Amino acid sequence: MMLLRLITWPYVRKHMLRCLLTTAGIVLGVAVFVGMHTANQSVLYAFNQTVDKIAGSTQLQVTAGETGFPEEVLERVQSQPDVEVAVPVIEASVQTGLQGQGNLLVLGVDMTGDRSLRDYDLNSTEDATIDDPLVFLAQPDSIILSEQFCQRTGLQMNGKLTMQTMAGPKQFTIRGVMKSGGLASAFGGNLAVMDIYAAQMVFGRGRQFDRVDIALHRGADVNAARARLQTLLGPGLQVDPPSSRGQQFEAMAQIYSMSANITSLFALFIGLFLIYNTFSIAVTQRRSEIGILRALGATQGQIKRLFLIESGIAGLFGSLLGLGLGVLIARGIAGYISSYLGEMYGVAQRAEEVSADPRLLGIALFLGVATSLIAGWIPARSAAGVDPVKALQKGRAQVMSEGENRARKIAALVMLGLGIACVFAGHKPLFFYSGYMLSVLAVLLLTPALCIWLSRLLRPLMKWMRPVEGALAADSLLQAPRRTSGTVAALALSVALVIGLGGIAKSSFEMIREWMDTALNPDLFVTSSESITQRSFRFPYEFGDELRQVEGIEELQAVRTARIVYQGTPVMLVSTNVESIANRVNMKVIEGDRETMYRQVSRGEGVVISDNFALLRRVNTGDMLELLSPTGLLRTKVLGVVADFSDQQGTIMMDRELYRRYWKDDTVNVFRAYLKPGASQSDVRQRLLDRFGAKTRLFVLTNGEIRAFILKITEQWFGLTYVQIFVAVLVAILGIVNTLTVSIADRKRELGVLQAVGALRNQVRHTIWMEALAIGALGLMIGFALGAVHLYYILEITKRDIAGMRLEYRYPIGIALTLLPVMLGAALLSGAGPAESAVRGSLVEALEYE
Amino acid sequence: MSRLLLGLMAALPLLAQDARSIVDEAQKRSRADSQRYEGTLEVRDAKRKISTKRWVYERLGSAGEAKAVLKFTAPAEVKGVALLIHNHPDRASDQWMWTPAVARERRIAFQDRRTRFFGTDFTFEDLEERDVDRSTYKLTGEEKLDGALAWKIESTPKAEARSQYTRIALWVRKDTYSFVQAECFAKDKLVRRIRYTDLEKVQNIWTARTLEVHDIERDSRTVMKLEKLQYNIPLAAENFTLQALRREQ
Repeated sequence: MMLLRLITWPYVRKHMLRCLLTTAGIVLGVAVFVGMHTANQSVLYAFNQTVDKIAGSTQLQVTAGETGFPEEVLERVQSQPDVEVAVPVIEASVQTGLQGQGNLLVLGVDMTGDRSLRDYDLNSTEDATIDDPLVFLAQPDSIILSEQFCQRTGLQMNGKLTMQTMAGPKQFTIRGVMKSGGLASAFGGNLAVMDIYAAQMVFGRGRQFDRVDIALHRGADVNAARARLQTLLGPGLQVDPPSSRGQQFEAMAQIYSMSANITSLFALFIGLFLIYNTFSIAVTQRRSEIGILRALGATQGQIKRLFLIESGIAGLFGSLLGLGLGVLIARGIAGYISSYLGEMYGVAQRAEEVSADPRLLGIALFLGVATSLIAGWIPARSAAGVDPVKALQKGRAQVMSEGENRARKIAALVMLGLGIACVFAGHKPLFFYSGYMLSVLAVLLLTPALCIWLSRLLRPLMKWMRPVEGALAADSLLQAPRRTSGTVAALALSVALVIGLGGIAKSSFEMIREWMDTALNPDLFVTSSESITQRSFRFPYEFGDELRQVEGIEELQAVRTARIVYQGTPVMLVSTNVESIANRVNMKVIEGDRETMYRQVSRGEGVVISDNFALLRRVNTGDMLELLSPTGLLRTKVLGVVADFSDQQGTIMMDRELYRRYWKDDTVNVFRAYLKPGASQSDVRQRLLDRFGAKTRLFVLTNGEIRAFILKITEQWFGLTYVQIFVAVLVAILGIVNTLTVSIADRKRELGVLQAVGALRNQVRHTIWMEALAIGALGLMIGFALGAVHLYYILEITKRDIAGMRLEYRYPIGIALTLLPVMLGAALLSGAGPAESAVRGSLVEALEYE
Repeated sequence: MSRLLLGLMAALPLLAQDARSIVDEAQKRSRADSQRYEGTLEVRDAKRKISTKRWVYERLGSAGEAKAVLKFTAPAEVKGVALLIHNHPDRASDQWMWTPAVARERRIAFQDRRTRFFGTDFTFEDLEERDVDRSTYKLTGEEKLDGALAWKIESTPKAEARSQYTRIALWVRKDTYSFVQAECFAKDKLVRRIRYTDLEKVQNIWTARTLEVHDIERDSRTVMKLEKLQYNIPLAAENFTLQALRREQ
């Protein structure tokens, strides 16, 4: 403690800025980790809250994915002796047109029985606020709103609210207001309740329910009742507690967790090198102090502990700052993820509150402090090993000993060899991830050696650019590799992270574009929602016959997309006229014979699956899939695998007839329209709108609009990636500033001597600028190489564990070229401050020792 | 809706043989092959807000097995909404609600019988007819009510009846064998009181022209008045089906 007060604290006070910069890596690493995970958890929590509040006292729910099931199921459920209450539910998310209010979650329920399951907590005296329960049921325009929503929008009892329906925008009458809290607070209060049969009509659901909510008799064994219901209903209908919906949501959100983990790991790695670098230099700078302490009797253990405690404190400080920053940024990220999941999956949740999980904070704190301690371990060991006699010999410690260098090189080469070996055994996750780690570690261990080799290569160029300053800068790097190698490693990691993220974005965009060219080639899309991912509204199949009458339409394909649960995960089921699709669409076939597989699928003999479904679910051509449908288990053969980017969790394509037979669902989400040669897209669109716009809710989107929407969704998905890239670049810049600040402080005497023997201030300034540029260049060169490796692994991880998408390896040359001026410019800017400090410092003070 | 009376009466059996006989006799005296009336319903909530509705009620068949249709005629928002009831002697009735605006019937599940009948103070269960044998009865005394002497009978629904009520106290006028009051208890707590007034002999059947239901917990009241009451009129059996309701759409 005394050593900390007498030795460390004065040093920290003197180098406050440097200490803060040192912790920046930890701050950002911890902040990204906490921010991303807190946001993810908050969105998940919000979803669960919505589910809980809507579930009320529901103990079990009967569902069949998004497809719904026939009404008859309800009576079968109600006939079970365990069941006290079983009520049908339809859920839909609709737009209200009210500015800034977002979507309204509409719950269609049967009010005759539903109130024994859900607490509507109606204002004033219960029914008095459903102005008249009979009128509420008799009039299909009746809705109940939450008090919160009414207050926000100024709506009142018996007021009117316009909502989108299958028959276009329609006015609804507010015939009830729920008090805030409980059910009314679900979905952030944006909740409306209406009669289920009116909801069926409004949302084009035919005679289907989305689910049945069940409360059991008091004392009934939930698991036994669940098993009995499951037996009664068969495997096509799932009987689960409401909480299972959260588990499915978790599967969707886990992609973000994986991405957050990789970025956080990189940021912490970068922080590790920054701390290592700073502490190594601190040991050098404080050699005399260490020598004196040792001479006065301090043991090696005490010196080592002193430095470890210092790094621990730095880690703790950085982690605490990171925790705060993480919670702050979580709100923004939560909103982002929330809107993405809403858009992409149509999942109803609003993350209004962000609260961090204490366990998560604990893990982040541990990671931050542990990273810092690991980073401080080698410098602490060096400090403990300082020879008191040599301690006064300045400058020597910057040259890495040959032995140490050789040991690192050998270790690096061994790791590299093992890493390459792991590539060959990469089908096993353990080997794959070990290979990844070993490759990165090998490059990082080789960084000091690479710094020397590359500095030698750069020296002639630097000398050519500035004969004196260039040579001095290059020599500085060559003489003190330890001073720069940490920063170069941090910089290289940042560049590699950017290359990896940029590479995956580039590959995704290019492949999605290619897929859109082949798969999304109709001229027009007639949809029931503005967004093709929303499936609340549906057309009856017969509507297609009317559409076909419109002049200019050559061919129309009816498509029903719905999410079903496959082995606990929601996947996309696409049912359509496969023969017609096969004639028009030319998706890349990964497995199977294009000629025969579509023909067989159209005969209902099997299904075609997407590449990502095959990879994520470990399914291949010839395998049997067991799909749960409301009428029972459908065992069907996989006839082919195609490259399809329709859904992140995977797609199953089957013929419409097969779907209709098993799912008893004859509705359509989208009609794909191909026009006759010479027909104008805008004319046909106008004809469609003129003919059906007034009586049916329909949207006619052009091919260009659909493509723009998909690219927007993809852009949204990569939105967080860009944040991560920004963080990586920021950390890299902080690293350069830190290194140069340390470098100037360390070379105060050397720079003073230079000025004393006649060097001009501009020459000193330029020397430091050149050094900064050289550090930037070294980081870029190693980073580009490390990025190439990182990109390979991140593409593999995306394929194996994240989205199952087989993205092609495409090095992001454009991003690399963009990084050149950005990083070199940033390096130059980072060098400006230290350069000014070098030339403006006191010459007398600098030469004091001499 | 006066069937409600019958339902409750029938549900009110008697303790000893005497009590059961009284209830049985009361049922016999009110028995008719068919019935029709126009009803007016006033619901007064705790804030004394009043809502009024009118309907036409038709019933066909013998007690315990009767079929009934109740069609709302006013106000305009609820016109056409109907309730179809098929009573069974050995089990709970089947009930469907028909909503013309969505052209759909909804089955009132057995589990929902304890819920209130569209904002009134009746529950769906109160609309059922129940066989005398589905409860046990006990004569607990005699009391003067509205100036007339009445037997006080405690009726306890049997377990298989799966009633929301644990017991019902009934008052049957000694001179006319008419029900004049019922107090319904759930777990020994009085939840609903029903008063039968304006007794009148119509086609030789003593009938209460006014019913008042008081929901004790909510402190709301529903008053039902029977007009244009007729017994034993010709009614077609095919009118008491879902198809008939759909046809009228």
